[in-house]
Amino acid sequence: MTTITAPTSTEQPVSGTHSVFRLWIGFLLGLLIIGMVSAASVLWNGLEVTNLTNQVPWGLWITVDLSAIALGAGAFSLSAVAYLLRVESFRKIARMAVFVGLVGYTSAMLALAMDIGRPDRFWHPVLYWNIHSVLWEVTMCVILYSTVLVVEFAPILMESKIISKRYPKAPRIGHIIHQFAPLAAMVGLGLSLLHQSSLGATYGVLVARPIWFKPSLPVMFILSAVAAGVTFTLGVTIFYENLVRARQISDKLRRQLAMLAGLTMLGYLYLKLWDFLATSYYSHLPSRVEDLDLLNRIAPYGSSFWIIEVLLGGLVPAIILLTPTLRAQDKWIVAAALLAVIGVVVNRWNVTLSGLIVPLDWSPGVAEVLHVNSYRPNWTEWGVGIGVLGYGLMALTLGLRFLPMFPHNDH
Amino acid sequence: MNKPPTGDKFITRREFITMLTGLGASLGVAAVLSDLDSLNDFIQQELAIDLREGPLEEKHHTKGKHRWGMVIDLGKCIGCKYCVYACQAVNDVPDDMRWNVYLLDETESGEIFHMTRPCLHCQDAPCVAVCPVQATYVRDDGIVMMDYDVCIGCRYCQVACPYGARSFNWGKRTAASGYQEAWGSAEVERRPRGVAEKCTFCVHRIDRGIPLGLTPGIDRAATPACVNICPVKARVFGDLNDPNSPISQVIASHPTFRLREELGTEPNVYYIPPEGMVL
Repeated sequence: MTTITAPTSTEQPVSGTHSVFRLWIGFLLGLLIIGMVSAASVLWNGLEVTNLTNQVPWGLWITVDLSAIALGAGAFSLSAVAYLLRVESFRKIARMAVFVGLVGYTSAMLALAMDIGRPDRFWHPVLYWNIHSVLWEVTMCVILYSTVLVVEFAPILMESKIISKRYPKAPRIGHIIHQFAPLAAMVGLGLSLLHQSSLGATYGVLVARPIWFKPSLPVMFILSAVAAGVTFTLGVTIFYENLVRARQISDKLRRQLAMLAGLTMLGYLYLKLWDFLATSYYSHLPSRVEDLDLLNRIAPYGSSFWIIEVLLGGLVPAIILLTPTLRAQDKWIVAAALLAVIGVVVNRWNVTLSGLIVPLDWSPGVAEVLHVNSYRPNWTEWGVGIGVLGYGLMALTLGLRFLPMFPHNDH
Repeated sequence: MNKPPTGDKFITRREFITMLTGLGASLGVAAVLSDLDSLNDFIQQELAIDLREGPLEEKHHTKGKHRWGMVIDLGKCIGCKYCVYACQAVNDVPDDMRWNVYLLDETESGEIFHMTRPCLHCQDAPCVAVCPVQATYVRDDGIVMMDYDVCIGCRYCQVACPYGARSFNWGKRTAASGYQEAWGSAEVERRPRGVAEKCTFCVHRIDRGIPLGLTPGIDRAATPACVNICPVKARVFGDLNDPNSPISQVIASHPTFRLREELGTEPNVYYIPPEGMVL
C-alpha cells in the first residue's frame, strides 16, 4: 500500500507511488512513440496518408487543435478574475491555470503543425498579412497570447528547484516578472477574447456552408471554452490533490471555481438552445429544413449533438458543479471535468464535420449529383492525435511533479 | 485602498439636472456627427474595403483595363468532356484531381443537361478573403491567382469556396497526367506537395499573348485550352470590359445566370441555361 507522507511542500514526491509514477511515465512514452511514428509518416509522405479529402479537408486534427485551445481557456479567464477583478482567492489557482493553458496551446500548435500542408512555412502569416482573414487574426492572436503565457509561466519555472538550485538569482528575477502579472492578464484577456471567439468565426463567416456554420459560433466557442477550460483546470487541481493526498485550494475557492464554471456552462447551454431554436427549429426556410434533414439522416452528428455534447458534456457537468453536495466530493468534480472535456471535443468535432459533410450544391439542376461526404480518421490520424494527447499528459505530469504550482506563501 | 464613503452621497437635484442636460447635449452632438459628410465618407471608405484591389504591391492600382470571363452554354454542351481532358493535359493536373468538373444534371422538367464548372474567378472571392497569407488573390484583370510559394496548406480556402473549385496536393506527384500527348502537353510547372490549386483561366497563355498583341478569346494561343477544344463552341472566353468582345455580345443577346448568385461572390463565369430550365 502507499505510505502516505503528508508532504511539507508540494514538490515532495510520494515515495510509495514511485513505481506507479514510473509505469505512468512509461505509458506516456508509449503514446509519444506512437505519435512520433505517425508524425514521421505524415511528414515523409504528405497528407495523403490521412483520410482527409478535398470535400472534407479538415478532420480529427482540427478537432484536437480547437479542443486543446478551448481547454486552455482557464488561463486567461482565471488570470483575469485573479488580477483584474482582483479576487484574491483566485490567485491560488492562477499558476495552475496558466500552466494548463500553456500545455493546451502548445498541444494545439503541435496538432496544427501536422495539419498544414507546408509545416516549413508555418511562419508565413507573420510575414504575409491578410488582415481580412479571420484565420490570420487567429494565428497572430495565438502567437501573441502564447508569448503572454510564457511570460506568466516564467516565474513558476524560475522558482522551481531545478532552476533555482543552479541559478540562485532566478527566483528573484521570477518575482520581478511576476510584478507584471496584472498587465499580462489584461493583454491575455484581450487576445483570448479575440481568438477564442474568432476560432468560432472561422466557421461562422462561411456563409456558403449550411447549418452549423453560422454567425453565432464566435460566442458559442468562447463561452464553451471558458466553461470547459475552468472545469478542466479545477478537475486537474482536485485530481492532483488526491495524488499528493493534500489539499491545495481552499473550500471557498473550490466553490467559487465550480460556481463560475457551472454558471458559464448554463449560460452557454441557454444561448445554444436559442441558437438552435432561432436558426433551425423555428426557421422553416426550405433549404435549411432540407439541410437539417440531411444531417439527421447521418446519425452520428444528430445524436452526438444532443446526447453527448449537450446532455452529457454540458448539462450534467453544470448540475454537478452547481450542486453543493456533489461538488464537495472529489470524484464528482473529476467526473465533471472529464465530461466537460468530452463535451467540448464532441462539440468541436460536430461543428467541423457537420458543416463539411453536407455537399455544396452549386449545380443549377435538381438531380442529387453530389453525395453526402463522409470522413473517418484513419490510424495515422489517430496516431498523431494520440501523440498530442501523450505530449499534453506528459507535460502536465512533469509540471505537477517538478514545478511549484501551489506555493504556500504567495505574497 | 481608501474608497470614498458612499453612504450619504445621494444624487442632488443639481447633479440630476446637469446629468440630463449633458445627456441631451451628447445626443445632439451625436446627431450632428451622424450627419457630418466627412465622417460618413470615412465610414463609407472603411466599409467599402475591396478585396478586388489585390494584395501588396497591386493594392494601389486602379481597376484593370480587362476583365477576363467565360460563358458556358449549357444548351450547346454535348457532354463530350473534351474541355476536362484538355485542361488536365495542359495544366498538368493529377488524374485524381479536376480543375474543370463535369456533372450530369437534370432540369426541373426532367431533361438532362451537361454541367461543367471551372474556377468561377469570383470578383468577391471567399477563398481570397479567408486566406491567412494572401497566397490567393484577385488580379486587376479579374483572374483569381494562386501563389504556390506562399501557400501554407491550411485548406481554409477549400472550406470557404462555395463551389468546391479548389483542390489540395495531398501527396507528391509521381505519375504524369494520363491525358497528356493525346490532349495536349504540360504548359505550366507542377505544383508542389502541400499547397492548394485550381483553374487559372490558363493565365500563362493570356500573360504570354497580350504582349505579343494577341487577344484572349479570339487568338487561340491566348485562349484557355478548354475553350479552344470545345467542338460545339459551348464555351466563349473574352474581355467582359469590352462591349465589342464576343463574350460581351453573347451575354448581351442571351439570358445568362451565374452560380449561387445570391451569395454575392460576383463570378466571372456566366452560364446560358439549357432548354427546359426556367431562370
